[in-house]
Amino acid sequence: MALAKLREMLDKKEISAVELTQQYLDNIEKRDKDINSYITVCAESAIEDAKKAQNTIDSGNATAFTGLPISVKDNICTLGVKTTCASKMLEDFIPPYDATVMEKLKASDIVMLGKTNMDEFAMGGSSQTSYFGGVKNPYDTSRVTGGSSGGAAASVAADLCAAALGSDTGGSVRQPASFCGVTGLKPTYGAVSRWGLIAFASSLDQIGVIAKSAEDTGYLLNGIYGYDANDATSSKKSEGNYTSLVGSDVSRLKIGVPKEFFGDGLNDEIKTAVLNAVEYYKKLGCEIVDVSLPSLEYAVSAYYLISSAEAASNLSRFDGIKYGLRSGLGEDFNDLIKNSRREGFGNEVKRRIMLGNYALCSGYYDAYYKNATRIRTQLKEEYASIFEKCDVMLTPTAPTTAYKIGEQENDPVKMYLADIYTVTVNIAGLPAISTTCGYDSKGLPIGMSLIGRAFDEKTIIAVCDRFEKDFDRKEAVL
Amino acid sequence: MRYQPVMGLEIHAELLTDSKVFCTCQNEFGGSENTRVCPRCSGLPGTLPLLNHDAVRLAAKAGFATDCTVNNYSAFDRKNYFYPDLPKAYQITQFEHPICTDGHITVVGGKDIRINRIHIEEDAGKLVHDDYEGISMADYNRCGVPLIEIVTEPDFRSIEEVQDFVEQIALRLKYAGVCDARMEQGSMRVDVNISIMPVGSTEFGTRAELKNLNSLKAIGRAIEYEINRQSEILDNGGTVVQETRRYNDNHGDTKALRSKEEAHDYRYFPEPDIPPVLISDEDIQSIKDSMPEMPQERFARYTKEYGLPADDANLIISSKEFSDFYDEAVAINPDYKQISNLMLVEVNRQLNDSQLTISDVKYSPADLAELVKMSSDGVVSKNAAKDILKIMFDKGGKPQDIAKENGFIMDNDASGLEDIVNQVIAENADSVESFKSGNQKVFGFLMGQVIRLAGKGANPKMAKDLLTEKLK
Repeated sequence: MALAKLREMLDKKEISAVELTQQYLDNIEKRDKDINSYITVCAESAIEDAKKAQNTIDSGNATAFTGLPISVKDNICTLGVKTTCASKMLEDFIPPYDATVMEKLKASDIVMLGKTNMDEFAMGGSSQTSYFGGVKNPYDTSRVTGGSSGGAAASVAADLCAAALGSDTGGSVRQPASFCGVTGLKPTYGAVSRWGLIAFASSLDQIGVIAKSAEDTGYLLNGIYGYDANDATSSKKSEGNYTSLVGSDVSRLKIGVPKEFFGDGLNDEIKTAVLNAVEYYKKLGCEIVDVSLPSLEYAVSAYYLISSAEAASNLSRFDGIKYGLRSGLGEDFNDLIKNSRREGFGNEVKRRIMLGNYALCSGYYDAYYKNATRIRTQLKEEYASIFEKCDVMLTPTAPTTAYKIGEQENDPVKMYLADIYTVTVNIAGLPAISTTCGYDSKGLPIGMSLIGRAFDEKTIIAVCDRFEKDFDRKEAVL
Repeated sequence: MRYQPVMGLEIHAELLTDSKVFCTCQNEFGGSENTRVCPRCSGLPGTLPLLNHDAVRLAAKAGFATDCTVNNYSAFDRKNYFYPDLPKAYQITQFEHPICTDGHITVVGGKDIRINRIHIEEDAGKLVHDDYEGISMADYNRCGVPLIEIVTEPDFRSIEEVQDFVEQIALRLKYAGVCDARMEQGSMRVDVNISIMPVGSTEFGTRAELKNLNSLKAIGRAIEYEINRQSEILDNGGTVVQETRRYNDNHGDTKALRSKEEAHDYRYFPEPDIPPVLISDEDIQSIKDSMPEMPQERFARYTKEYGLPADDANLIISSKEFSDFYDEAVAINPDYKQISNLMLVEVNRQLNDSQLTISDVKYSPADLAELVKMSSDGVVSKNAAKDILKIMFDKGGKPQDIAKENGFIMDNDASGLEDIVNQVIAENADSVESFKSGNQKVFGFLMGQVIRLAGKGANPKMAKDLLTEKLK
């Protein structure tokens, strides 16, 4: 149900906040053993949150989020609630502070149902690298959810929350949203404070929203966006009102279709579904513009160099000295650090740390890291010229639909290449939204992405909403 | 063979900001372990650095204090290495784009030492080793204390040049309010890069980096030791290894810490959590305008405008507080020479005897200015002025009040004094006789008697004139 509709029901007392929360907790109880979307379920505190919210509603002081039950990805710090990053390293880490996004939402008496599963430290596209076991796709539990915000996407798809907070470094909100048949919004870099988001790659990470519709993603983004003095990279340019263009006439907008996104490696069923969506907008009256992003072929390499370099540095703080896993073995602090990291991190995380450190070594720095930043500049320029020709760019979200668990997660190169349609958005710092535009022959959701100008989330939300209103979305059947 | 040392310096100075450089914890020295620590400076996951703009401003001031260019654009980088006193396992520093570049300071012999750069960085914590328990504990109080690192070119050729430079840097940083420059407390730390080459050669040798130099004297001894050590190696046909060496003040020697092979690859890259620091020309100008007068400028003013001898001027500027005190006093009473004399002799004696500094004294520059004026106006005698200063030092108080309370005000009533002179002559007939028969020494005794009867307020010149007159 739409968040605005839930708001109305709560305000009209058609349902109480406690009842609503209990419904979702019951759903979690019933279904999540098959899906594993939550690492921590906060059953007791959620009911407490809901009681408090109901008091606020009863006293007539309800605001947009009062009493709405959401899930939160387990790399977003929550005061007093374990925040594990799906890693053995942080299995017992309880943050002494809330992320800024949580502070904002809690001020409005939102209800937090629990912390969702993910790829370890958000590194992966399958949600199978979690220390707490992989997440299963609500459309077919033998398949992956995508990742890294797989738990968030699955929790929305399986009605285990009203909406979810995720994070997106190279597609981690959009790709699982596409695999799980829901809508995922990655805001402009700087639109949402990163304070309290456990860093993977600082220059690419953004907290995003996964929900049942584009309108809902905008609704929740209204509660978390904004400049934050605690995050020097957050921006004052965001204006909010993210749903203000929903329902407005989008037919005069120009939609860019980049040829590089429809080449080899794209599954035919996906190509057809996405081109059908292009056709939909064309019929609506939108002008379809051919655009080009020539540097796409270098994007995956640049992304993995930059993100791994930053990750290698960001994850250095997990050394067993101050918090997190500490290995009891060893002679001196060098052993302590080595053994703690050896035991605490999974293979994919170790792979990225090694890749990142290699790229930063003196002697390789220019060839790898520096070149990657050149590609970054190039991509930004190419996007700038694309947005001189169109208002929104339409692409597939992923080259495949959800695949079988165990099918390709163990092939790192194949996994990395699958990020090709999502990473450029993070590299250029742009907003993008993914929604379902069709289903493949197995009935699995196909995602398309709409990419917008920096800080113009409103437009892509409105354009996406227009499509969703005419699209027959099939709910996952559990 | 005779060798020529070649040296360059890396000087770390702690900035006098109220809070740390990337969080709001207090920036202080001492205190109990881990009492000035927050999620940010202890590197908790999910936290982000918050740049303290005061640190940027002070770093820019350090640039102006050393004739550097302060750059419109500077940026932070990460220096990655694991150590338990470094909670994030990287130090935020400025590698590619430092805030200040291309400065210089003139040292003894009129030689220019070039400053390559000044950059901002954060300090690490400290490890406290408990050898009895066999454990180490981390104290993060110092984590995130703002530092600047001043890097010179290898322009030094003698210990005197190095020591003069370090002294000047310390003084200039103090004057600029950038750093309190207490080497013994570690708020200013000097590392010396030193190599030697045969006299007359132009090709530098392999350098060693000397650390743990806590005083000017230690710097001198460490360099001397190192010149001898490297000379001996070369004389015996060996080669100097590039390494970091720790100076031990108890032994006066240096020991290898780590060699180049063991040196870290710090994997520097741009810090993604802090946008580049952009300072407009206007802001740079306003920081420049806010610069206090530097010691070398004060020296020029004292010698050229005030006519003080160079030695006196140097003594006054060697402490900023002392010099400030002097400036405040002469602003009230522009008797440059007399105030300088009083401060360099009497005041300094008080300070030395009591082990106090000028900021501790109970009197103000205005009091001192007034005292000098009272003396030069003949309100009190020179000797009385010294006595008054002593009371001001011991108990405080205004010189006027002290003079009145103690009867130090010079009495210029000639008739009263004449009575006393007559009385002394009458009571000391023997001495008067002795004087008249040629014993000049007795005059002093008779003067003493007059002053004793007349009190400290007696005008000594008037007394002397009267006595001379009466004894004719």
